[in-house]
Amino acid sequence: MTNELTTWLDTLLAELEGIRVRRTSRRRLRVDVASDALPALLELLRGRASFVHLSAISCVDWIDAGQFELVYHCWSYEIQSLVSVHTRIPREPGVYISVYDIYRPAAFFERDIHEMFGVWFEGSPDLSRFILTEWDGPPPMRKDFDSEAWVNQHFDWQDYHPDWLKDLETRGGGIAVPPDEQRFSRRNVDET
Amino acid sequence: MRPENYEAQRQPPSYDYELNIGPNHPGIEGNYAFKLRLNGDRVIAARADAGYLHRGFEKLMEGRLWIQNLAITPRICVPDPVPMEVSYCLAVEDLCGLVVPERAQWLRVLQLELSRIAAHLFIFGGHAATTGMYTPMFWGIADRDLILDLFEEMTGGRVYHIYNIPGGVRRDLPDGFGERVTNTLDYLESRLPDYDNLLFTNQVFVHRARGCGPISQQQALEWGVTGPNLRATGLKFDVRRDDPYLVYDQLEFEIPTEEPGDAWARALVRRREIKESIRIIRQVVARLPTLAGPIRCPIPNPLAWNVPAGSTYTRVESSKGELAWYVVSDGGERPYRTHVRGPSQMHAVQVLEQLAIGCRIEDVAQIMFSLDACPPEVDR
Repeated sequence: MTNELTTWLDTLLAELEGIRVRRTSRRRLRVDVASDALPALLELLRGRASFVHLSAISCVDWIDAGQFELVYHCWSYEIQSLVSVHTRIPREPGVYISVYDIYRPAAFFERDIHEMFGVWFEGSPDLSRFILTEWDGPPPMRKDFDSEAWVNQHFDWQDYHPDWLKDLETRGGGIAVPPDEQRFSRRNVDET
Repeated sequence: MRPENYEAQRQPPSYDYELNIGPNHPGIEGNYAFKLRLNGDRVIAARADAGYLHRGFEKLMEGRLWIQNLAITPRICVPDPVPMEVSYCLAVEDLCGLVVPERAQWLRVLQLELSRIAAHLFIFGGHAATTGMYTPMFWGIADRDLILDLFEEMTGGRVYHIYNIPGGVRRDLPDGFGERVTNTLDYLESRLPDYDNLLFTNQVFVHRARGCGPISQQQALEWGVTGPNLRATGLKFDVRRDDPYLVYDQLEFEIPTEEPGDAWARALVRRREIKESIRIIRQVVARLPTLAGPIRCPIPNPLAWNVPAGSTYTRVESSKGELAWYVVSDGGERPYRTHVRGPSQMHAVQVLEQLAIGCRIEDVAQIMFSLDACPPEVDR
């Protein structure tokens, strides 16, 4: 059954331009395709080859190449294979086409990628904020977003000096433990 | 006022209101919220509101070493943490081409199935509680605790184990552990008829759960539903059998399915899966003494470990459905990108929003628990 699939995909090479197929293991197939041919390929996979289950859409930010890589993982319950379709789109302006009309679960993943990477999907039913509802910064999963710098820039380090700690601090310590209660101190070990 | 004298005030036909359930609510699993639009007690629209548990794990993992990320992975799903660890380890092993010793694979299966029972007991009690029956909940939590005791002995941790490392597992079983597992399994198996008597023959539960939140098989496939929720619609699919990992192809187990696809069927599938997991663990316990050998393969210095460049997608069957990691390495000491696909990302958001429409307000909680939605998986 799985061999049939590769021959089927081989014949597809003639139909679609710029497609590369590589078998990575018995049940895994990696397909690299140009971004304008991807919806057509997914439609063929779903319609003709029973890949009805869109397992996930992953986004990778290749900042040095100036590209986003979108990976569509499709599973067939009949052939029992997983096809990962890789495509790359330019990082700027980061706009792509939704595959919601082919796969319904795409709505969640596209919303998530839009929120985390700032990729706009034309035709996706709902790209409103979901997880980062009150976030007004840049999309945080992009590689040029530095979490630590953001924290230092937007938040202050707070000093914690409550009243109950004040006289301990004047005595020159944080939390004082009487010597006989210091169970793990080196000195107690030496004495015994 | 006598009922015959009471004249109901007529409301305009568009009279509806909004109700916010959550983020801390007994009818909601974890921290999650629902904006419900209601007409009377009928839901006419529902909108999921997530983000209360967002900890930015995927971003965090990009800044940490491959081995340090093991501390993060189980925290993505609290009631069922083991599949997260295992699938992440499988991904790293796939990228490095490591071959896990057989004994370690069987130990992983043992841990995975124990975790599955614990998660099913947890949600099983939660589902009963949403129909007003708290005894199954107390029983479920108490019985789950026995499995947590086993975990504590086996791994040192009750909730988050971090037992798996790329290449194998951290330590071998303590002496006499198989016997204690068998004792616990015997006890759990003897409890199952009690659960049936208490819950599945209970008319309150039968009437509340039957026909509540039904999904047809076509809808389930269309919306990407996996796991027990998919099997409750009659499709016999399980990643353990159809996309086998570890040693599941050497084990004998049934895949329980039910036809109706409603809350009742989903609860029943989980109840039957507990029995199958017990069966699997018995096989593992019988097999483990015959397997000598190492529990992990040698790995490079984990503090300076450059994982070869590449990408992989590893799937396992968690108690909630298909769980997958997409891990990308650029050949560095840290992952270039990790993406987790939790099963709840499908059924806790889009499916739940659809199913809630038209049901009554008291059934919203039941639908959520019967789908086994896990908000931390959605938020990550």
